[in-house]
Amino acid sequence: MTPMIDIVFLLIIFFMVAAQFARESNVELNLPAEQGEQDAEHDPSKLVLNILPNGEIVLDNTRGAIDLTELELLVEAVIAIDGATWQNITIRADEDSSTKILNEVLVILNRQGLSATRIATEQP
Amino acid sequence: MQFGRGKPKRGGSATLNMSSMIDVTFLLLIYFIVTTVFSPPEDQLTPALKVEQGSSSVETDLEPQIVTVTSNGSQQVYQIGDQTVADRSQLATILVRLPNDPGIIIRVDDGVTVGFAIAAVQEARDAGFERVTYVPVSP
Repeated sequence: MTPMIDIVFLLIIFFMVAAQFARESNVELNLPAEQGEQDAEHDPSKLVLNILPNGEIVLDNTRGAIDLTELELLVEAVIAIDGATWQNITIRADEDSSTKILNEVLVILNRQGLSATRIATEQP
Repeated sequence: MQFGRGKPKRGGSATLNMSSMIDVTFLLLIYFIVTTVFSPPEDQLTPALKVEQGSSSVETDLEPQIVTVTSNGSQQVYQIGDQTVADRSQLATILVRLPNDPGIIIRVDDGVTVGFAIAAVQEARDAGFERVTYVPVSP
């Protein structure tokens, strides 16, 4: 019986940790259902910008919404301190959100010298 | 009343009843299996980014084609040249007929949804364009 109990405990720990990670890392969004570029190499994100359906920009589940001025300062800091390039900044925009906010975010990124962008999609 | 603190019976083995613990453990396991939601796999689209400044236009020998994603009254549409389509499959049909070398520019107006705009980027990639440029257009 002991090995079975060991396995069951391991399973419990796995599901507890997985549930915790899922809750912390991703803001729940309906991303555009697209295949994407099918590029296996993804650079790690140093900054993830989530655009909610109501147009709010949030970084993660633990912090509140930020405005465009704060966003610009943040992007500037991530580039200056962490040496982020466009490959390290991911935009997760809800498919029902307006492009008004996305466009404003992209203008800020471009103003900070980023020549391209990374927009997350959800594989259908 | 007597409370016996006698010695364990000689030859008897001490056993711990594990049934309740195993019950609880299984309940916990089932709870976490049911409540865990795995996020679906994500991918990415990486269009180049360009912001139009004034009315300046760069003249090149190979002028890139331009798809404008805009709102035509109540409907979201894709405009390419003099053609206006609302359906992404029609857009795909047009895009595959275009030459890929010059690249393609997706100009996105403010009043459309992100899903509709990103569909144009995806269709451009699927049509074989290496250089896809996203141009945010604000009034």
